[in-house]
Amino acid sequence: MKRNRKSAPSDGGNGKAGRREAEHATQAPHPEALSRFYGLPLPGVKLEELSGSLIVLEGSDGSGRSTQIALLTEWLESQGFAVQTMGLRRSFLVGQDIDGLLEENAVTRMTLALMYSTDFFDQLERRILPALRSGLVVLADRYIFTLIARAAVRGISRDYLHGIYEMALRPDLTFWLNVRPEIAFDREFKKAHSISYWESGRDMSLSNDLFQSFIRYQSMIKREFEYLSNRHGFVEVDGEGSVSEVNRVLRKQIAAHLGIRGTQYHPSHALSQLWR
Amino acid sequence: MATAIPEIPTSSEPVPEKTAAAKRPYPGALVVVEGIDGSGKSTQLYLLKRWLEIGGYRIHFTEWNSSPLVKSATRRGKQRRLLTPVTFSLLHAADFADRCERQILPLLHGGYLVLADRYIYTAFARDAARGCSPRWLRNLYSFAPTPDITFYFRAPLDVAVNRIVAGRPKLKYYEAGMDLGISLDRAESFRIFQERILNNYDQMVETDGFVLMDGTVRVNKLQKLMRGIVGERIKLEQFAPKKKKE
Repeated sequence: MKRNRKSAPSDGGNGKAGRREAEHATQAPHPEALSRFYGLPLPGVKLEELSGSLIVLEGSDGSGRSTQIALLTEWLESQGFAVQTMGLRRSFLVGQDIDGLLEENAVTRMTLALMYSTDFFDQLERRILPALRSGLVVLADRYIFTLIARAAVRGISRDYLHGIYEMALRPDLTFWLNVRPEIAFDREFKKAHSISYWESGRDMSLSNDLFQSFIRYQSMIKREFEYLSNRHGFVEVDGEGSVSEVNRVLRKQIAAHLGIRGTQYHPSHALSQLWR
Repeated sequence: MATAIPEIPTSSEPVPEKTAAAKRPYPGALVVVEGIDGSGKSTQLYLLKRWLEIGGYRIHFTEWNSSPLVKSATRRGKQRRLLTPVTFSLLHAADFADRCERQILPLLHGGYLVLADRYIYTAFARDAARGCSPRWLRNLYSFAPTPDITFYFRAPLDVAVNRIVAGRPKLKYYEAGMDLGISLDRAESFRIFQERILNNYDQMVETDGFVLMDGTVRVNKLQKLMRGIVGERIKLEQFAPKKKKE
């Protein structure tokens, strides 16, 4: 089946080496951590069948998510783990339709939020759950948290959003690649030479100046993520560190989760341009 | 000169007490019809619409699943049978949200009488029959304005099912609830699916203050009753044509 992922200009990568050490906070144990769903389970899912692992990378555009996913995929495959990926707007059912809506800029916030939730659950039910049943490692390039944050800053209630996603599968690990909006702006601008309408929140009339609009919007998203991080126990990673530093932190955590002993890794020639 | 405004018949039928008429944040009003396929609801709403149209009232008619927004996705999902109960429900909710945010709410704020052929209760009854949690569904549609009147057209299962089956060469896959795997026979599956939906509707009569309408009553008699209830519960003069300025 064809996947309708268009080459997404918005996906991070080419992260410029930061100066600070990559660091992470320890993952706080969470009372909800007992269940694999946030609330109701999805109809027809047998939890004992899900032998794979779900690992999520969250972070704004320019935080380096897709670079890290490419590297982690190679590392995991070299360790003998089969990998499946997911990401926003990649569902067969509505992925293309959302692309179309975003281009038109005419869609209202609730409709967009629900189209994204359709996209999410289509991928969850028809790609992720089958992968987890087969024992794969699923690497998610963004998850429900981005969707909740984006809708919440547009005034949709958090309870409403958590209610919709209560049937989502709880990830085994959620990494938040945290970068300051100013750094994200630099990285995005360097890569695409422009700033996307939606990533700068231009539908929200925050500022006529694109830079200001981007910074204010991303700051609002960041505040939502701080709340979500507390609520859901994210592993916060300094996304301003170098690609190799961030990757080392991720590998260490994932290795511990999957029971991989060594975390040594050097990217193949094909990916070496990502490693700086 | 426009046709004379039809007289509003005064009904002698008892009208169920409205559950505490909530203050609405808009001047418009919303009248909804619900019921299983073949219950006669669309015919009745059409006649109500004609009555109000002919009278020159400020009305807007809207129906379930009509926006071009999700048409291609719905078609893709249905043709290839990719829809699960959850994605089926979410896709229809997205479609409804589009109609709600772009038509229904602006029209209610603009002082229109909005007539809806099927509303959120269709999703509650049908998606719950597919196995979605009623609580989840209630949350999903919590952004929708509450109707001023919800007419629930109830016909016995056999009457409704026969009306549909007789008029259609073939029942569609999702329409017949074939995705639930109840029965390999479409007519049989349709019947059982409709029965579940009917039971779910019945449970909402109390909780959601439905006005129960007997779908076996003659069309014109039922319409007279419906017009009476609308006239009683809604200040129609508010939607009446404005007098010409001299």
